[in-house]
Amino acid sequence: MQAGKTNFAKPLILVWTACIVIFLYTPMVSVVLASFSRKRYFSFPVENWDTRWYEKAFTSLSVRDLLFTSFSVAALVTICSVVLAFFGALAFARYDWKGRKLFQKIVLLPIFFPQAVLGLALLLWFSELGIITSWVTAVFAHMIWITPIVTLIVSIQVYSFDPALEEAAMDMGATRLQTLRDVTIPVLSPGLISGGVFAFLLSWGNFPLSLFTTGADQTVPEWLYAKMVSGYTPMVPTLGSLMMAGAAISLFVMYILYSLYKMRQKRRFAA
Amino acid sequence: MSSEISEPVLQLRNIVKKFGDFTAVDDINLDIGDGEFFTIVGPSGSGKTTMIRMLVGMDRPSSGDIILRGQRINDVPANKRPTCMVFQSLALFPHKTVGENIEFPMKIAGVEPGKRRERADELLAQLRLPLAYYSKGVNQCSGGERQRIALARALAYDPDILFFDEPLSSLDFRLRKTLEKELKDIHRETKKTFVYITHSLEEAMVMSDRIGIMNAGEMIQVGTPAEIYDAPRNKFVGEFMGEVNTIEVERVSEKHVRSLSDGTEFTVAREPDNFERGYLIIRPEIVKIGRPAEDLPNRVHGTVFNDYSLGSRIQYQIRSKSDQYQWLVERLQDEPYEGKLDDEVYIGWQSEDAILVSD
Amino acid sequence: MIRWLMQPGVRAAVPISILLLLGFIGPLLMVTGYSFMPPRTFSLTGTPTLANFISIISDSYYISFLWSVGLAAITVLILLVICYPVSYGMAKMFGPWANLVTMIIAVPLLVSENIRLFGWVLFLLKNGIADGSLQYLFGIHLPSILYKVPAIILGLVYVYLPFMLFPLVIGLSMVPNAVKEAAFDLGASRFQVFREIEVPLAMPGILIGSLLVFVLALGSLAESKILGGQAVIMIADDIESAFTFAQNWPKGAMLSLLLISSSGCLIFFLFKRIDLDRIIGRR
Repeated sequence: MQAGKTNFAKPLILVWTACIVIFLYTPMVSVVLASFSRKRYFSFPVENWDTRWYEKAFTSLSVRDLLFTSFSVAALVTICSVVLAFFGALAFARYDWKGRKLFQKIVLLPIFFPQAVLGLALLLWFSELGIITSWVTAVFAHMIWITPIVTLIVSIQVYSFDPALEEAAMDMGATRLQTLRDVTIPVLSPGLISGGVFAFLLSWGNFPLSLFTTGADQTVPEWLYAKMVSGYTPMVPTLGSLMMAGAAISLFVMYILYSLYKMRQKRRFAA
Repeated sequence: MSSEISEPVLQLRNIVKKFGDFTAVDDINLDIGDGEFFTIVGPSGSGKTTMIRMLVGMDRPSSGDIILRGQRINDVPANKRPTCMVFQSLALFPHKTVGENIEFPMKIAGVEPGKRRERADELLAQLRLPLAYYSKGVNQCSGGERQRIALARALAYDPDILFFDEPLSSLDFRLRKTLEKELKDIHRETKKTFVYITHSLEEAMVMSDRIGIMNAGEMIQVGTPAEIYDAPRNKFVGEFMGEVNTIEVERVSEKHVRSLSDGTEFTVAREPDNFERGYLIIRPEIVKIGRPAEDLPNRVHGTVFNDYSLGSRIQYQIRSKSDQYQWLVERLQDEPYEGKLDDEVYIGWQSEDAILVSD
Repeated sequence: MIRWLMQPGVRAAVPISILLLLGFIGPLLMVTGYSFMPPRTFSLTGTPTLANFISIISDSYYISFLWSVGLAAITVLILLVICYPVSYGMAKMFGPWANLVTMIIAVPLLVSENIRLFGWVLFLLKNGIADGSLQYLFGIHLPSILYKVPAIILGLVYVYLPFMLFPLVIGLSMVPNAVKEAAFDLGASRFQVFREIEVPLAMPGILIGSLLVFVLALGSLAESKILGGQAVIMIADDIESAFTFAQNWPKGAMLSLLLISSSGCLIFFLFKRIDLDRIIGRR
């Protein structure tokens, strides 16, 4: 800010930021370390490195079921919430209409809501309506919390979207549908894609909503929780690590897709 | 209004500012007199903002000295310097009222609330703002009012030198003109030293006692508005003054030069020392057109291609027959050129009206 | 009315509104209804009564409620202090690197909360990573904080850190540098610039972050269960056990209602103070 004196603040802040990052990653590293330990009960330093728990996880049918359930829920949540959030974000940020301010607040409310309480309320709601809970009801429950988040992400993109683009397209004779397909969606696609990735990962890792709404089905986070409180097994860090690997792979795939998209754009407009 | 200055209040000695490999300000020496209105003019990227930030104390020069009333102040931070700046964005505190903004420097200095209020009212009056604005939010004020509030706040600090970083650049033309004059009036009323930076030479001309022209980190020319207008030191200054005709020329013999594009020869009244090659600068308003041009020593033959009305004046574009150079010629609105477009005409000027520069 | 419905904005709002009506507002109204039903009933047809409310305030539930409020408040304070410098760096110093730092900090959010909390268990466990390293390197043995109150605070601070950090970054980036420089130029010290300019102007971000963390921590369940053992019962634990083990839906509903309405008041206050368009759209 002024002559000279700022210089000492910057290294301090950098070091502090590094500490925070280490703090954030400590438990994840701990889980991975534990997953490679041979012992039945974890102790550190690890004496026998081993991958036997991974072998077990890959061959176990129940693990496959768990992963499949988690994946199905997350995939379905992603598709539905991105579609709803697309329209929601237009209403949130693109159009000016009476009632918009109220709409914005109602949409954001579920994000602030304690998830465990929301899960219980939904459990009550389903039983009152006579719906038997299963992984399908969990999809619905996840959507209540995740769709608003995706709406928020897409809205950020919509705020910077110039409405004149749509008007120009329609002025040149495009119908509403054509405008949507050829202008609105492509321009908003970065927001939609990142919203989708978030939706997938948040659903994939969600525990408090799943706990009360999956009924007889079980997702990985629920299983992990059950094992954590009822008795340690080395499968817990192993599956935990696999979950993290899944999240990392999805992020990586998104990053690759994004880079490819950028490169294609560059090549298209380079000529 | 001569270029002699009284006691210098601020002296710059070999000021250099580097950002990595890039030299933003390159070895500047300058004296600013007490009570002077000095304006630094330059295009964007010329280093003028970097310069003013060092003078105010927001940045520190890479080398060189800044001397305020005989004291080296390089290492004195902005909050300890008896100078302050009106920012380009004005930087009014959006969460404070007009009154709180103006009183801010006094509050910081520990002035008691009653005295602060008194001084704030004085400043509001001095800047022609209604006293009722004291409790108004700054975001409710118009552009011109915000300018005045920013100035009042800076004056409340009672600085030795007031710096201005293009504060008028975002305003529309008419308001800018009004405020330029008001600023000059305030300068006379307060008798403080004003250092102003702008990219508009026109603005500088209106207000300043002296002007310094910067380009690419260097101070190209310092002088009164008249000195700079009459004798620009190089092509950059000449063209920066406004629309001019610039012809690249080389020396033929004493006071004779030849155009590099078509070989036409011109005469000049003065030439710089060791002149070999350079530019001939001819202002549009001194160029004669049609009959009056025919007896002049320097002439060009061309066609009238277009005319543009500039309010009090009319500008003509004449395309030279020999090299297609697009000459600009200006006449007063009430004594226009009598001919038609596409006429073939002579344009010409007196030798002493053209300015010859080396670079 | 018809004309209002025909607006494109209204039509775009319809799908998500239906979702929230069926999955959020409906269930909430029902919970509200249940909370006034006679204890241990399983339908909404009973005679409305305040019995649940009375039994809750006459019982020791206030202890878990106070624990929740206290732990949430401590979490907010700790996070304000530890996040402020990082947010300042991200908003004002790191420049193009800020995006990378944002990514690095956001990624753990995508890993299930209970896996990350379990990682802390492994870290803090007797013979775990912290203890094991200390023994191995220095031969010392310190008592573990696991299953005690500090571990719960650690978990809350850990889980909600990004929810404080990102609003603070937005808040601080809304403070124009020139305004701070102007104050400094007018004689203010660093601390005066901080108090008079930076904090008031970053207040929307500070408020959002603090209230978000407070509300989320107030309703948190996993931290106290996984890291706290049974050291402290938080209000969400009580709600869960009322619904599940105790099978007393009306009581659970009333507890939820109390929790929701106290958070709701805070959120209402927050929404009144801030302009969402400005903060999200940065206009």
